[in-house]
Amino acid sequence: MNDNPVNETNEVKEPTKIEKVAETIAERFPEAQVEVKTNRWKRQRVWVRIPREKYRELMDFIKKLDGEAHYSIGIEQDWGDELGFLSHLVVHYKAAPAVSLIVDVHAPKDDPVIPDISDIFPIALQFEREGMEMVGIDFENAPDKRRLFLPDDFPEGIYPLRLDDKGVPDEMVKNAGHPYYLKGGARK
Amino acid sequence: MTERVEYWVKIPFGPIHPGLEEPEKFILTLDGEKIIDVDVKLGYNLRGIQWIALRRNYIQIMYLAERMCGICSFSHNHTYTRAVEEAGGIEVPERAEYIRVIIGELERIHSHLLNLGVLAHDIGYDTLLHLTWLAREKVMDTLEAVSGNRVNYSMVTIGGVRRDIDEKKRRIILDMIKYYREVFPQIEEAFLHDPTIEARFRDTAVISKRVALEQGAVGPTGRGSGIRDDARWSERLGVYPDLGIKPVMPQDVTGERPRGDVFDRMAVRIGELYQSLELIEHALDGMPDGKIKAFPKDNVLYAKLRLMVDGEGIGRYEAPRGELVHYVRGKKGSDKPLRWKPREPTFPNLFSVAKGVIGDQVADFVVAVASIDPCLSCTDRVAVIEDGKRKVLTEKDLLKESIRKTREINPEIKGDPTPVGASCSR
Repeated sequence: MNDNPVNETNEVKEPTKIEKVAETIAERFPEAQVEVKTNRWKRQRVWVRIPREKYRELMDFIKKLDGEAHYSIGIEQDWGDELGFLSHLVVHYKAAPAVSLIVDVHAPKDDPVIPDISDIFPIALQFEREGMEMVGIDFENAPDKRRLFLPDDFPEGIYPLRLDDKGVPDEMVKNAGHPYYLKGGARK
Repeated sequence: MTERVEYWVKIPFGPIHPGLEEPEKFILTLDGEKIIDVDVKLGYNLRGIQWIALRRNYIQIMYLAERMCGICSFSHNHTYTRAVEEAGGIEVPERAEYIRVIIGELERIHSHLLNLGVLAHDIGYDTLLHLTWLAREKVMDTLEAVSGNRVNYSMVTIGGVRRDIDEKKRRIILDMIKYYREVFPQIEEAFLHDPTIEARFRDTAVISKRVALEQGAVGPTGRGSGIRDDARWSERLGVYPDLGIKPVMPQDVTGERPRGDVFDRMAVRIGELYQSLELIEHALDGMPDGKIKAFPKDNVLYAKLRLMVDGEGIGRYEAPRGELVHYVRGKKGSDKPLRWKPREPTFPNLFSVAKGVIGDQVADFVVAVASIDPCLSCTDRVAVIEDGKRKVLTEKDLLKESIRKTREINPEIKGDPTPVGASCSR
C-alpha cells in the first residue's frame, strides 16, 4: 500500500518517455505543432502537425530516433480546402507503454503534392497508393503509382472519398447510401 | 552439349483459387518452381464501407464496422468504439472493460483454432482440420450462449457493453475453460511434435526480422519474426495490464529463438490459446460489480455523441491477426463522423508474406498465405460503387450463361444440359 504514493510522486516529477519524445521533436522542429493529449483511460499520444516541406525530414528523424519504429497506418482525408495525410507510428515499444505518435501533413487542393516516404518506411507506399486513388493526393517520386484497391476500369479523375465535386457523382451510385433512401441515390 | 535455358513465367494466382479462402490476386513470377517475385492486387472484395460510412451516424457505424469481417467482428467494433470514446472523452465503467476482455479473448480462441485448422488443411492433413474445428465448436457455442450469436456479437457499445455476464453465462464459460484445458494439450501435441507438420512448416516462407520491420508486420506474423509487440500490452489497453498481459513469443512455446517461418507463426497462436484461457479466468475472477454502460439508452448516447465528439481519436487493439487501428474524426453538432478509417492487420502482413515467399517453392505458396491468417474481407473495405448498370446474376442466369458458352465452344454437343428436377429456390 505504501508503493502507490511513491509511484505517483515519481510520475509527477519525471516526464514520461512519451513527453520526452514530444520534447525532442519540438526542439528539433520548431515549426511543428506538437501536442501531448491524454485520453480518459490515461493513455498519452503525441500529435504532431508538420508543414509538408519538413515532412520527409521529420520521418527520417523518427526512424533515427528508433530504428524499429513501426508505421501502422496512413490516413488520407479531405479537410475541405486541403487534403491531409495522417500517419500513426509506434515508437520505443521495447517496454510498455509504447509511444503512440501521430504525424499530420496537409497540402492545398490545387497543389496536392506530398513527399513520398516509402524509402524510409517501405509499407507507407501501400497507404500512399490508397491515398492517391481515394482522395487524389499526389505523392512525389513514389516508386509505384498503380491503383491498389480500385479496379483498373474505374473512371479517371474521380476520387471516391473526396467530399467535393470530384467525389462519386449520384449517377454512379445505385442503391447505396442510407437503406431508407432506396430511390434516387444517396443524397436525396 | 547441354545448354541450360532459363526463362521466367508469370502466372496469376487467384482471384479465385481453390487454395485461397477469399478473393485476392497474386501475380507470381516463377523460375521453374521457384518464386522470384510476387505482386499483390487487392480489391476483389471491395464493398465501399468507408464511403457508406460517410452517410451513417456514430451508432450505425458500430454495426457496419462489425460486418466488415465475420471472424474478427468484435475487434472491429471494439476498436472503432475506442476511437470514438477517445475523440469524445467518454469513460467506460470498469465492469464493461472486463466483459470486453472476456469476449475479445473468446473471439481470439475461435479465430486461432480456425486458422490452425486451415493450415493443416492446406498441407492436406485433414485429420487435424477436423480435430481443431471440432474443438472450435465449443467456443462458438459459448459465444452464442453469452452474446446470442455465433458471429457479429454486438456486445460492445460506445461507453460500455450491451449485455452483462451473469452467473449462468459465467458457468458456461468456466465449463468451456475446463473442456479446453483437456483439449489444448492434444492440439499442441499434434501441431508442435508432428514430423509432417515440421517438415512442411519449418523454414517455409521465412519473413526475416528486417522484412517484418520494413513491411510493418503485426500480430503473430510480427511476433513470429521476433518483433516483441502486442497492442494490448504496448497500449496498456483497458484492464489488460491488471490481468498480466505480455506478448507471446515463439521461444515461449518452442524453446528456440524465432526464425520467422510458418512454424513460428503457428507456435505463437498455440501459445496465445493458453494465454487467452488465463486472461478469461483472471477476468472472471476480478470482475467488479457495477453498471455496464455509461449511457443507459441509445437515444441518450446519440444525443450525447453529437455534443461530445469534437476532434480526432485513435483506437488500437490487438485483433487475433495483429494490431488493428481505427481513426475517427468528428465535429461538434454533427451526428456523423467526418472521417473513419480502419486499418486491418492483414494489410501489412500480406505485403510481408509477399516478400517472405521469394525464393520458396510455388507449392508452399498456399500455406505461406494461410500462415498470416489472411482476412481479405477486412482488407478490402475501402470505396465503392457499381459503375453504370447493376446486374445481379442468379443461379439460373449463371447456368444459362454456362450452357451458352459450352454451345459456343462445341456447337455439336449432344445431350440436354438443363437440370432435372427442382433447382435451389434462390
